Amino acid sequence: MGGISELGINWGVLVTQIVTFVILLVLLRVVAYKPLMKMLDERSRRVKDSLEQAEAVKAQSAKTEEELKKQLEQAGRESQERIERAIKAGEEIKTKAQEDAKKEAEGLLVRAREEIKRERDEAVDGVRREFADLTVLAAGKVIEKSLDKKEHRELIDKVLEESTNLKKN
Amino acid sequence: MAEPKKRGCLGCSLPIVIIVAIVAIGIVVIGFLAGPIGQAMFHLDLPSWIVVEKPAIHLAAPHLFEIGGFPITNTMLAGWFTVIFLVVGSWLITRRMKIVPNRIQVIFEFLLGWIYDLCESVAGKENGRKFFPVVCTIFLFVAFNAWLSLIPGFGSILVGGGGHEYELLRGANTDLNTPLAIALVSCVFVAFYGMKSIGFSWVKQYFNFGPLLRSIDGIFRGKLNFMDIFSNFVNAFVGGLEFLSMLIRIISFTFRLFGNMTAGEILVVIVAFLVPMAMSWVVYGFELFVGFIQALVFAGLTLVFVTMAVASHEGESHENKNTEEKELLKEGT
Repeated sequence: MGGISELGINWGVLVTQIVTFVILLVLLRVVAYKPLMKMLDERSRRVKDSLEQAEAVKAQSAKTEEELKKQLEQAGRESQERIERAIKAGEEIKTKAQEDAKKEAEGLLVRAREEIKRERDEAVDGVRREFADLTVLAAGKVIEKSLDKKEHRELIDKVLEESTNLKKN
Repeated sequence: MAEPKKRGCLGCSLPIVIIVAIVAIGIVVIGFLAGPIGQAMFHLDLPSWIVVEKPAIHLAAPHLFEIGGFPITNTMLAGWFTVIFLVVGSWLITRRMKIVPNRIQVIFEFLLGWIYDLCESVAGKENGRKFFPVVCTIFLFVAFNAWLSLIPGFGSILVGGGGHEYELLRGANTDLNTPLAIALVSCVFVAFYGMKSIGFSWVKQYFNFGPLLRSIDGIFRGKLNFMDIFSNFVNAFVGGLEFLSMLIRIISFTFRLFGNMTAGEILVVIVAFLVPMAMSWVVYGFELFVGFIQALVFAGLTLVFVTMAVASHEGESHENKNTEEKELLKEGT
């Protein structure tokens, strides 16, 4: 005994330990590492998936919110427009009514004036006719009475006076 | 409501603390007296079962029995015990793995995940995954060889063999064959991945005689170029040094682990002999730590060597990889 065998180096034991180690490696690979790796991968995959999902949901909700906001804005704008249109229409109606009323009033005024003028004309005509009749009457009377120059004069004055009175009236 | 104020110390009432302290001191005193130092100083007659016999230390593991002419040593049995423990334990834990783990699965995943992260951080994502099984097995085998041999009673079962009594189990790391076996596996593992990644040129970095022979051949053809011969000679010599360093690596692997573990074992035995019963736990705590560190060193160095063997390929195409290798070397030492 001596040298290296004193330390216990022994080929049989060495080979056995190598084999033992390799067996351990193979068994642990089956029993420990593969399940562990699968589990770790699975877990990281799930975490990644759920993170992605959360991101997608977040994006979706942001999109929806945006859309909603847009719709609300549009609705607001539309209603505003509608109100404006209604106001405009109302104003138009008002203006038109005013104009119509004005036109009508003007028409009435014109017609009234025409009426007045016609009536006056008629009245003047009537007075003329009356005056002529009176003149004729006066002339007849004159003829009947055979007037002298002085009487003639008086008569005319009288008629004229009468007619003036008439005119005045 | 405020908690009632605790009296005494360490959560026990004062009389219990005092009793525990007296018992502890008593054990220390009796242990001291029963040990060789106390015996030498006071020559007390203590009952024989308390007095510890002088421990016998064998470096070589004894052959317990032979199966078909093949010797079985107690360290081999201990190694198989570790294998069975690891495999059965892993099987029990991984049998029903869940996405949301229970406590023991968390511990398992933490330990292995920690080694996995180490592999990834040293060797990169892709290679780390390839190297992980071997590195992790080295770590687990070395660590649990050390830790399981610390279980009380592990070395206490004696069997008769050839007129002598030997322990049935002895920490597998304390037999030189085990560290050597793991070192050889580690070396083959490094060589395998070195060859796989850079092919035959991995061998050429150790046996670099080709250019030298060519330039010597050149002399006979009349092309004499001393500088060429010299540089090729230096290259071949450096290759020889590399090869030598690989051999030394195996030896240093082996004896580092063997030395640490055997020293630990002897330390436990000596302390248990000098001061029986009282002081071993201090050494036990220390040995748990040493076992962990040795396993980490063994696995970590293997990882670094294999990473270097793979990375030297990339170093040819990218000059900047050289600095990375140097960093890895620093990490390794």
